[in-house]
Amino acid sequence: MSRFTALVPRALGRPLSAIGGVLLLIAAMLPWATFLLNEGAYPDKATLQFFDAPFELTGFRWHMLLFGIAGVVITFVPLLGKGRALRALGWGGLAISVVSAIFITSEGGGLGAITAADGAYAFGAVAGILGGLALIFGAGAVGIDDIPHWPDAPFGWTGWAERLFSWAVLLVSFVAMLWLVSETLTAGGSAGVSSPYAGAVFLAFLGMAGGLLGALHGVGFTGWISRMSERHRAFSVVVLLVCAAALPFTSAGTQYWMNVAGTIGIYAATAIGLNIVVGLAGLLDLGYVAFMGIGAFVAANLSGATAAKLGITLPFPVAAVIAAVVVGVFGVIVGSPTLRVRGDYLAIVTLAFGEIFTRSAQNNIGDLTGGANAIPSIPAIAVGGLEFNEPITLFGTELPAGVMYYFLITLLVALVMAVFANLKNSRIGRAWIAIREDEDVARAMGIKTGKMKILAFLTGATLAGLAGAVFAHKLGTSSYDAFTFLQSVTLLAAVILGGMGSIPGAVMGAALLFVLPEKLREFEEYRLLLFGLALILIMRFRPQGLVPDRLRRAEFAGETAEGKSIEAVQEQAVIEQEHELEASKGGKA
Amino acid sequence: MTTLLQQIANGLVLGATIGMIAVGYTMVYGIIQLINFAHGEVFMTGAFGGLAVWRFVPGVKDMEWYAALPLMLVGGVVVAVTIAMLMERFAYRPLRNAPRLAPLITALGVSIALQEAVRIWFPDADRSQSFPRAFVNTQIKIGSVEIPATGLLLIVTAVVLGALVQLYVNRSRLGRAMRATSQDPDTARLMGVNPDRVIVLTFVIGAVLAGVAGVLFGMHVQTLGVRAGFQNGIFAFTAAVLGGIGSLPGAVIGAFIIGMVKTLGGQYLPGGTQYDYVWIFVVLILVLVFRPQGLFGESEKVRA
Repeated sequence: MSRFTALVPRALGRPLSAIGGVLLLIAAMLPWATFLLNEGAYPDKATLQFFDAPFELTGFRWHMLLFGIAGVVITFVPLLGKGRALRALGWGGLAISVVSAIFITSEGGGLGAITAADGAYAFGAVAGILGGLALIFGAGAVGIDDIPHWPDAPFGWTGWAERLFSWAVLLVSFVAMLWLVSETLTAGGSAGVSSPYAGAVFLAFLGMAGGLLGALHGVGFTGWISRMSERHRAFSVVVLLVCAAALPFTSAGTQYWMNVAGTIGIYAATAIGLNIVVGLAGLLDLGYVAFMGIGAFVAANLSGATAAKLGITLPFPVAAVIAAVVVGVFGVIVGSPTLRVRGDYLAIVTLAFGEIFTRSAQNNIGDLTGGANAIPSIPAIAVGGLEFNEPITLFGTELPAGVMYYFLITLLVALVMAVFANLKNSRIGRAWIAIREDEDVARAMGIKTGKMKILAFLTGATLAGLAGAVFAHKLGTSSYDAFTFLQSVTLLAAVILGGMGSIPGAVMGAALLFVLPEKLREFEEYRLLLFGLALILIMRFRPQGLVPDRLRRAEFAGETAEGKSIEAVQEQAVIEQEHELEASKGGKA
Repeated sequence: MTTLLQQIANGLVLGATIGMIAVGYTMVYGIIQLINFAHGEVFMTGAFGGLAVWRFVPGVKDMEWYAALPLMLVGGVVVAVTIAMLMERFAYRPLRNAPRLAPLITALGVSIALQEAVRIWFPDADRSQSFPRAFVNTQIKIGSVEIPATGLLLIVTAVVLGALVQLYVNRSRLGRAMRATSQDPDTARLMGVNPDRVIVLTFVIGAVLAGVAGVLFGMHVQTLGVRAGFQNGIFAFTAAVLGGIGSLPGAVIGAFIIGMVKTLGGQYLPGGTQYDYVWIFVVLILVLVFRPQGLFGESEKVRA
């Protein structure tokens, strides 16, 4: 894209992006559809009447309005990194407009729906698309500079002042994030017959969120926050946990959304586990979901479900530990070929193990998996008489069923994150990264590569086993077809989409890949096709993922964490070195 | 004894199919070190291309087999080659210098997208399609063993095409360019070889064989689903690895071994046909662990 945006002369940058902003503003005011959407297939349930009403700004048009204002303002205020911010706003506006345009066109039967038909005019989508493009091209001409580096605290504060300031900022940011998560989760409502527009509304909301975060990133805000949270790590962790625990108290606190959030959490935990194997140690695992499956089946067999052959009933914590241990053993078995097999070949060995698992589970091996009948009616986790699938009352608020699972899964994700973060910054984590970068060199440096690689598999598998155990209880059933090659690929895609080796990335990737199908029910038919195409496009245009790990970003994109190009940084370093050398020579003489 | 011979015959037929796919795997890997996961889908789209000719080209249904079969083969090959060239151009070529994980994941994406595209847009393809036997529907009896004529055709075609490709790679000018590129792309380029052309040619040769295999296989089993490509693709990849990836005769021989393992394993090993699939993967793992270079491959050299 930068190849094309560079075509616009620099002098035209500001006028063009201002025009883009104004166009977004206008688009927000214009009608978007020439027909009444609620006269469609679901007359009573239509939620998008505002497509037609010109001056009531709700939903995505409200976002367009804000983006338009921001676009105009940012164009004219002196602000570092404004090119990046404008570009992100442009992409956001474009995404919202394109999603809505496609949706209205397909609902309204043709391009007439978004232009002029039956004496009605609706140029909102057209204006939005043009505005978005103008912003993107204008931003390119304004100049895509380095992401600015904000000072840690204003007025050179240090000590308590800096701490209080940072805490306040972090608190506000995390609460804002909680709001964004809650809004994203519920945007468009639950898909299905009751809400035929869920997919469109949700995608438009994602466009907004993406544009907003991109703009904040571009002006250096997110980098500032992330450095701040690294400085005050303990505080951030506590606030983050509190925010996560507060989600059931927001608008997302219904049984349905708690269920969805819980499922996302389980896949996120598994994705982080996979991230250890793939992201840190660089061992591509194409059968990872088998570990989750084994964990689920072990837990199911120990749960006292009537279909379980063993007929042993153990309390959940014990069963979970046993599941983790058993899966860990399998992890070592699957990992042992890594001693002799590398790279793509290893990927195939893991794929083979995964397929063997699926096939065996499908054929009810040893009567342990129930085969095609699965293991149904696994009892809910119960601790101290509290059934986890019952609604509970907390702080005077009645919380829906499934909320206990949500809390448990939040803890699980936190645990997995803690394991990941601590390992990553430990001797073991550095050994893994060294192996990922170059196994032979790592070995030459004295790292016991074989042991380390098996350890990676062991850790990753154990975490997946735990996640699987919770999964079996939450779902209440454990079936082989929840653990097939496609799930392995989806998990891998979550890790890659989010950015390998990064925790927020894995969570975000898992959330996107497991929420989207939930929201896009009306595209059910095309779901996998879009998934496949998305994999291709991500690898083509953003192989480093959405939230790349710093090191990884450098490798994949030739860009450092501050957005400078690697070559420029290296040149700078060489020049500095030369200066130093000259200086030291001068000193000697 | 008859059962054994019959299973061996069945294994040979399966092996022939897998072998024709495996050639594409092994050649592409030999040139650009890419596990082209989507190659199984080239096979599948080829089969659907042949089916499309039968179904939608007027008159084909009424032709004699010796007229209809070549037409279907041409249809299958054209579709397979087009798909392979498109995926090389738009999915793999832009990633030629990317980290090694990237093209592998792209290949998975291509594979999923192609399966789904066929399932959605080929009429009725969400169910398994019945494939016509546009061919003499006879069983050929050799001793006590019965092989359908289609099966025999598969075996003969696989051996003949395998030999032709081997000859082409070893004797022709472009074949030499191919071998040169696989040994050392940079030096090959210095010697005036156009690597892009060689790579496209590699994909095309693989696709021709996969397309032929697709049509003949569909005709042999008389039923065709969009998942056929993935499964047979994995088998073919296993075969290529077993034979030593990069080695053409290895791929074909490996394929025959895999065919045998599946049929004989399904017959004689515990678990029966439900587990025949598992034995293939067990063989794959054992080969990779104990002889990663395969039966006929050279041991892997570390490339700087």
